[in-house]
Amino acid sequence: MRADAVDAVIRGLKRAGVSVATYLPDSLLKELYPALDADPDIRTIPVTNEGEGAAIAGGVFLSGKRAVLVMENSGLRAATEHLARMGLGAGIPVVMIMSYRGEMGENNWWAIPHGITMEPLLQALRTPYTIVRDVDQLETAIVRAYDTAYASYYHAAIVLGGDLVR
Amino acid sequence: MSYSRFEAMKLLGARLADELVILSLGGAVDEWYNAAPHMRDASLFQQQLGCVTPEAFGLAVGLPHRRIVSLDTDGGLLFNLGILATLGNERPENLFIVVWDNEQYQSIGGPATHTAKGRVDLAAIARGAGVDQAYTAATLEEFDAHCAAGLAATEPYIVVAKTDGILEPGIKRKHSDGREDKYIFVRHVEATEGVSIMGPSEHN
Repeated sequence: MRADAVDAVIRGLKRAGVSVATYLPDSLLKELYPALDADPDIRTIPVTNEGEGAAIAGGVFLSGKRAVLVMENSGLRAATEHLARMGLGAGIPVVMIMSYRGEMGENNWWAIPHGITMEPLLQALRTPYTIVRDVDQLETAIVRAYDTAYASYYHAAIVLGGDLVR
Repeated sequence: MSYSRFEAMKLLGARLADELVILSLGGAVDEWYNAAPHMRDASLFQQQLGCVTPEAFGLAVGLPHRRIVSLDTDGGLLFNLGILATLGNERPENLFIVVWDNEQYQSIGGPATHTAKGRVDLAAIARGAGVDQAYTAATLEEFDAHCAAGLAATEPYIVVAKTDGILEPGIKRKHSDGREDKYIFVRHVEATEGVSIMGPSEHN
């Protein structure tokens, strides 16, 4: 992940008022996780699977603080049960930042399913999302995702693609 | 040896006032609604297998000055055992977890969970995951003592309550759904914490 993209993500999270980040680390965002860990304004919580991370983020929402779930897009599959229960069932929002594995140009066979399933799953969960490939749009895209999540009380997602993560 | 979950809930409820509770699932929702009526607004009634203790942990992270109680179940915890390892590492100082272990998926009629054969020990799993204060309560008296200790602990504390699986007869059903329950709970947190969580929309 590009260093300027790491900085833009953290600026966006801070502008959105985020103080807790749950994550299951992945390779495309690998530079982001230690940067989040090192930031004194953000508490990071590594989790064992993305569904758990989504549920923790939902609990943080209930406290009045703001959280983000950071993961590879494959994590959306692991988190779908929890996201459906919280979002569709109770209106508890989770804002996600995920890497775009399996995007056009993917050269790992095992990552192809992640690209195939990501957008249909986001749409099945009725989750609005922005795919960001331009670093200049990243910070604002994150802030807008929180604006939408806290107006709809529903999930929103930012997908980091293109040369932001390659 | 097992005992009534409803009686255990009444013992726990008698110890609660300012705490916040997240709970699941099925019959436990209606029982808690009746066993601790003074905690209704302070309880988030959910139908979310695998979400309950992680959500309670997130709430504990956001409100570190306040005691949070998770009322989980054997089926719910088995769905996401990973949260125990996360708690073992994160060690929240304000989270008390009760696992109602009736060895069955009661809400769908009672098929056995993995604890039913007597080989799976949820408290031992929790200790192995780094939650040192994790116990099984075989009697109501033991359960009550663990509630006292767990509500005063400064590290994560888990009590697995071996209950009998008999739903309390004749209790009032809770009529609200998860969305209404969330609003009630959030408004309670807002009022007691002096914060705005679901505030007014902008006009622009």
